[in-house]
Amino acid sequence: MTPLRWTLGLLGVAAMLAGARLLVAGTPPGTPLDVALWLAGAVMAHDLLLAPLVLLVGAVVWRLPERRALRGALLTIGCVALITLPILLRPGPPRNATVLRLDYPLNLLGVVAAVLLAASALVGVRRARRRGDAPNATGPGT
Amino acid sequence: MNDTGLTRFSPPRWSRRLRRAGAPTNWFPTRLHDPRTAVAVGRWLGAGVLVCFLTGLVSHGLQSPGDWLATRLPTRPVWGYRLTQGLHVITGFALVPLLLVKLWVVYPRLFVLPPVRSLRHALERFSVAVLVGAALLQVFLGLVNIVQWYPWPFSFRPVHWALAWVLLGATLLHVAVQAPAIAAYWRGKGRDPDGPERRSLLLGLGAAVGTVTLVTAGQTVAPLRRVTLLAPRRPDGSAQGLPINRTAAEAGVREVSPETWRLRLAGPRAHELSLAELRRLPQHGARLPIACVEGWSATADWSGVRVRDLLELVGAPPGASARVVSLQRRGGYRVSELPPQFVRDPLTLLALRLNGQVLSLDHGFPARIIAPNRPGVLQTKWVTTIEVSA
Repeated sequence: MTPLRWTLGLLGVAAMLAGARLLVAGTPPGTPLDVALWLAGAVMAHDLLLAPLVLLVGAVVWRLPERRALRGALLTIGCVALITLPILLRPGPPRNATVLRLDYPLNLLGVVAAVLLAASALVGVRRARRRGDAPNATGPGT
Repeated sequence: MNDTGLTRFSPPRWSRRLRRAGAPTNWFPTRLHDPRTAVAVGRWLGAGVLVCFLTGLVSHGLQSPGDWLATRLPTRPVWGYRLTQGLHVITGFALVPLLLVKLWVVYPRLFVLPPVRSLRHALERFSVAVLVGAALLQVFLGLVNIVQWYPWPFSFRPVHWALAWVLLGATLLHVAVQAPAIAAYWRGKGRDPDGPERRSLLLGLGAAVGTVTLVTAGQTVAPLRRVTLLAPRRPDGSAQGLPINRTAAEAGVREVSPETWRLRLAGPRAHELSLAELRRLPQHGARLPIACVEGWSATADWSGVRVRDLLELVGAPPGASARVVSLQRRGGYRVSELPPQFVRDPLTLLALRLNGQVLSLDHGFPARIIAPNRPGVLQTKWVTTIEVSA
């Protein structure tokens, strides 16, 4: 327990209290409760929905060949899909012609395909290199 | 077990109980649910949270400066807000993979047994719950806000602002609580059987952050415009080369007649100017970015009359500030304040033209403010009055 550690911790508590005060003093009376509910909702959405789903997928991927490249690809695809979700789920038309004017479903598919392609290429190159290295490893002089 | 903090998260008691209960011997077969990986990911996540907080602080200061700060805001560099707010949203996007991987690493900690050992342990777990909730909600609020969707029952700005302090505080507290594990990570370069596995996870995380950035950052980073595949905005190819946030229809501004429209200048020698008279005043050009709080930005060529020339016309004292009033009837930001240093700045224009054309109605016809280093919401459109204020 160094003084630095205590200072950091106390600063943290002070900032949290300042935030709580801003929330209570800077918003209408019902808002702090709404925010508390949304905070709890965010935790539950992650802990009870997203995380178990990811762990389930992980349990399968763990047993597959090339799991490391696959994990990287799935992580990338999952994140790209998550950031596109608000655009895809947003109800109603865009507010004007300069917002949300791309073909998002098509672009998402394109990005997913590109990520899968890149991951496959990576695996292919690595396998080829391993095959190329193999004879040298057992050859004379080693 | 050792006291360096670099032990496995899952306590043996937990897995023993599970085994007795007939559960699979290891519920988290993929490795890396360890403090070392948590620190390796957490340092990047912490840096991202800090960048978002600091750039958010800048944005808040520019939008609601208060009396003391208002006269001290810098007008240079002209691209200052473009940089900070662009970084705010780019980093916000990058927090998605960073936050989710960090939470994946520490997820087994959710099930420690017993759930609460002591008052201190309870407080610590509560602070982690606040940290996780605030981090998830801040990123969610930001990502959904920039697609102009507001499904929550509260106002975005004050809540995002308050939670920014909560998130910063919870992060600092978390670093203080976990200091031994963090120190052990930086010290401990010893035996590490999970090294290759961890490096592969971090590479995957890097790929996710890189991809998310690549397909969204072009809404503010001009060279990346062409690979902007999944951002809410793509500034090129918009009307007069610039996106629009609030249209005239949304603002309740109907057609403005160039014959009857007058610019009212309120000051010691009040004055009214028609559009024709305004066009006969000395015209100046400025190449300035417009940078939206939603994270997009684009540079444009503006031309019009310098605001300081207009204030001289009404005999404003040196060091005067100005209040700009719009014709708009609906929505916020109808009135904006120009502090003295922005009034004096030769680049602050009452613009009449954009990229060589007369302003379109949606871009603020007949006249709008454009000033360096300010958020887009303060670049008031459809100007009707400029008042000298003190």
